[in-house]
Amino acid sequence: MRKIGVFICHCGINIAQNVDVDALTDYARTLPSVVVADHYKYMCSDNGARLIKDSIKKHALDIVVIAACSPRMHETFFRDKLTEGGANPYRLEIVNIREQCSWVHKDKPTATEKAKALIRSGVGKAQQDEPLTPSTIPVIPEALVIGAGIAGIQASLDLANDGFKVHLVDHDPSIGGHMAQLDKTFPTLDCAACILTPKMAEVANHKNIELLTYSHVQSVEGSIGNYTVKIQQKPRFVDTTKCTGCGDCAAACRLKNRVPSEFDQGMGNRSAVYMPFPQAVPLKYTIDPTKCLYLSRGKCGDEPLCKKACAQDAIAFDQKEEILERKVGAIVVATGYDLLDPAALYELGYEQHKDVITTLELERLINSSGPTKGEILRPSNQQKPKSVTFILCVGSRDETQCTWCCRIGCMTALKQIYLLQEKLPDIEINLCYQDVRSYGKGYEEFYRKVRGQHTNLFRGRPSEVRQKTDHLTMDIYDTTTNKLYEIQSDLVVLVPAMVPRATAAETARLLRLTLSGDGFFLEAHPKLRPMDTFVAGVFIAGCCQGPKDIQDTVAQASGAASRAATILSKKELEIDPMIAMVDEDACTGCGICVDICPYDARSINEKNRIAEVNSALCTGCGGCVAACPSNASIHKNFTKKQILNQVDDIL
Amino acid sequence: MTITDLTSMGEPQADARAEINDRLKRLQDHASDYCYQCAKCTSGCEAHKLLELEPHKIVALLKRGLITELVNSDVIWTCMTCMKCRERCPQQVAPIEILFAAKNLAVQSGKELPGKYTAMLQSILGTGLLQEVQTVTTAANATMTRDQLGLPPLSVPSDVAKFQASIMAIAMQKP
Repeated sequence: MRKIGVFICHCGINIAQNVDVDALTDYARTLPSVVVADHYKYMCSDNGARLIKDSIKKHALDIVVIAACSPRMHETFFRDKLTEGGANPYRLEIVNIREQCSWVHKDKPTATEKAKALIRSGVGKAQQDEPLTPSTIPVIPEALVIGAGIAGIQASLDLANDGFKVHLVDHDPSIGGHMAQLDKTFPTLDCAACILTPKMAEVANHKNIELLTYSHVQSVEGSIGNYTVKIQQKPRFVDTTKCTGCGDCAAACRLKNRVPSEFDQGMGNRSAVYMPFPQAVPLKYTIDPTKCLYLSRGKCGDEPLCKKACAQDAIAFDQKEEILERKVGAIVVATGYDLLDPAALYELGYEQHKDVITTLELERLINSSGPTKGEILRPSNQQKPKSVTFILCVGSRDETQCTWCCRIGCMTALKQIYLLQEKLPDIEINLCYQDVRSYGKGYEEFYRKVRGQHTNLFRGRPSEVRQKTDHLTMDIYDTTTNKLYEIQSDLVVLVPAMVPRATAAETARLLRLTLSGDGFFLEAHPKLRPMDTFVAGVFIAGCCQGPKDIQDTVAQASGAASRAATILSKKELEIDPMIAMVDEDACTGCGICVDICPYDARSINEKNRIAEVNSALCTGCGGCVAACPSNASIHKNFTKKQILNQVDDIL
Repeated sequence: MTITDLTSMGEPQADARAEINDRLKRLQDHASDYCYQCAKCTSGCEAHKLLELEPHKIVALLKRGLITELVNSDVIWTCMTCMKCRERCPQQVAPIEILFAAKNLAVQSGKELPGKYTAMLQSILGTGLLQEVQTVTTAANATMTRDQLGLPPLSVPSDVAKFQASIMAIAMQKP
C-alpha cells in the first residue's frame, strides 16, 4: 500500500481567491492512498518546504502530490524537498491549479470542482510512480571548436585557459576568419590585425590547443560528455614540419600573381602555392591543387619550380588527406557567415561594372598590407577616385533577398567613410541609406562625427547603377528633401547582406542542429539560452547564430566557452531518468522508434534485434512511445497505464 | 563628379555653402551637418501649419549646397522667429539661423522683399514697433486694449529722426 501526501498551495491569493483550498484539502483526504493532505500560503517558501519534509518523515510518505503552479516553476525545488525528506525525488506529481485553473476561471465553485478533478487525476497517476535513479555518464574534459574566426579563437582560448584540451578546426589554411581581412574596426578604429594577431599567436602556442587548419569535420557521433569526431585534414602538399614560411616557393611559382586571392577578395593575386596573408597562423605555405599546374595537369614545365626553389625540401606532392579521430565532451560551433553575392541585385551593376565593389573588397584596398598597399584605386583604371558612393542594405531588409538587418553594414560604411576621408581629404562621399542603425556603445558618437565631416546623406535606395564613359551614375529619390538627385561617382561601394554559410545546412545535419527560418543556427532560447542549442553539449557562438559585430561575437564566444566549461568541469553528468525504456519482451525490432526519434537516441541492437535507448541522447519527448506498435517503448513514470488512469480519474 | 537635383537641375554650390556655414559658426551651437533629419523642428513649426515652412528641408538644402534654391524660396520669409526649432533641436542645430542667413543673402542679392516686410520696416522706422498697437478679443467676445488689460503702455522713440538714423547705421554695418 502506497502512502501519498497531498499539499495544496494558496500562492498568496493567486490560487486561494478562486479556489476553496479548505474544501480541496478535505476532498484530497478522501482519495485512495492519501494519508495526509494539507495546505499552506506559499508551498515554495521555507515554511512550506518544511511542512512537506516533516510530513514525509512523520507519515512515512513515499509519493507526494503538490497542487500549485506550473511544474516549470518549482519542480526541481520540490524534488529536492522529497530527497531531503527521505522519499525518491521522482515520485513527485505536480498538479497545476494556478495557470490551468485559478487564473483562467472566474467562478469559485466551478474552479474548485475543476481543481478537485485535477488533484484526483494527479493522485491517480502518482499511484504508479516508481522510484527512479538518475544514471551517470563520464565526461571527456576536451572540447571541439569548429571555426577559427574571432569567435572560435576566443572560445578556444577561454576553454584552454580554463585547463581544458581544445581541438580547433578551420577549413582555411590559416585561422583568423573574416576579422583578419578587415583594416580597422569600428567605432574605436583599432587596427583589426593589431588586436587579432596576438590572439592568433596565442592559439598557435597554447599547450592546450591542438590547431587543425585546412581541415573539416566529417562526422560527429555520440552525445554530451562523450562525442567522437572524425576530422578530415586536407593535404597542403607542403610538409609543415619543414616549411619555414620563407615564401621562396611562391616567388618561384609559374603562376605567380596569376591566381585571384580569396583573402584579398579577388582585388589582388597570389601564386598557386600561397600563404593567405603575411601574419597567417600557422605560418606555412599551401599548394592549391585546383590551380597548381603539376597537381591539376600533371606537368609544370620541366619541373615544378616551387620544389626547386624550396631550400627545406618541404614541397610534398605525394601528400594524402588524413582522417583524424578525437573524443570530446562538448562542441562549440563558430562557423561564421558569408556575404550575399550582390549580383543577386543585378540592377546595382556588381560584376557588370568594375568600379562597383563590396565593403569587404574596399576593406582590402584600404588595408596597408592589401593588394594596393593601402592605396584606394579604382579597379577599372587604377586611378584614385574623386567621389565614392556607398549603398547600404544591399539585399538586407529585403523580402526578395534577406529579410533581416545585417547589423554591421551601417557602421562598416561609416568607418570606411572615415578612413577614406583620412586617406583622400578632398574626396566627395555620398551615402544612400534607409536608417542608420548605430546602436552599440560608442556607435552613435561615431555616426555623428562622420555626419559632421560633410558626408552627403541620401535617405533612399537607388534603383539602378549605370555606367557612363568614365564614371558611374545613379538616380536617388531622397525622402528627406523629397527630391530626385543624380549622383555621379568614380566608385560605388555596396554593403551586402550577411547570410548563413553556404555549408550551414550541412553543418547542421552533422551536429543535428536546428536552423532558424533565416538559415542561421537556432539557439535554444533567444533571450535566456542564446549560446545553447537543442543538442546537449553543443553550443553556438558568433555569426553562425545570426548577424553580429565583433563586440557581440567575442562576448557570445566567451559565453559559449563558459557554457561548455560547465559540462567539461564535471567528472560525470547526471542523466534525467524520466526518459524512454524498452520492454524487451514486447519489442519486435521493427525500428519505427529509430525513424521517429528526432535526437538519434534510438537504435536496434544488431545482435538480438531489439531496440535500445541511448540515455544520454533521449530527452523524454515521448515520440517513440506514441509510435511503437507493440507497446514496447515505455516512458518511465509516464506509462500508458498512468496516463489512462489520469484520464479516467479526470472524467 | 557631382550631385544634380534633377527637379531644378541645381548643383551644389560649395563656396556659398561654406560662406553660410562660416556665418553660422557664431550663431549655431553645432554645425548644420550634424542634422539627422528627424524633423522635430517641422513637427513644431508654427509657420508650417499655415504657410508650409519645413525647417528640416531648409537644413537639408544647406547640407546639399543648393543655396540658390534656398535663397530664392518664398517660404523662407514665413518664419515667425518663435525660436522653437532652435530651442528643441536634439543635435543643437538652429534652423532659424539658417533662415536668417538665407534672408540676408536674399537682400544682399537684391531680391525683392515680400510687401509686408517693407511695411514692417517702415513701421519700425516710424514708431519703433513692427505694427500698430493691437486690441485683443476675449473669450466673452469683448474687445480689450492694453490699458484695459492693465498692461503698461509701449514706449516709442522720443526723437524719431535720431532713432531712424541709429537703425540705419546698424543696418549698414557689415556682419
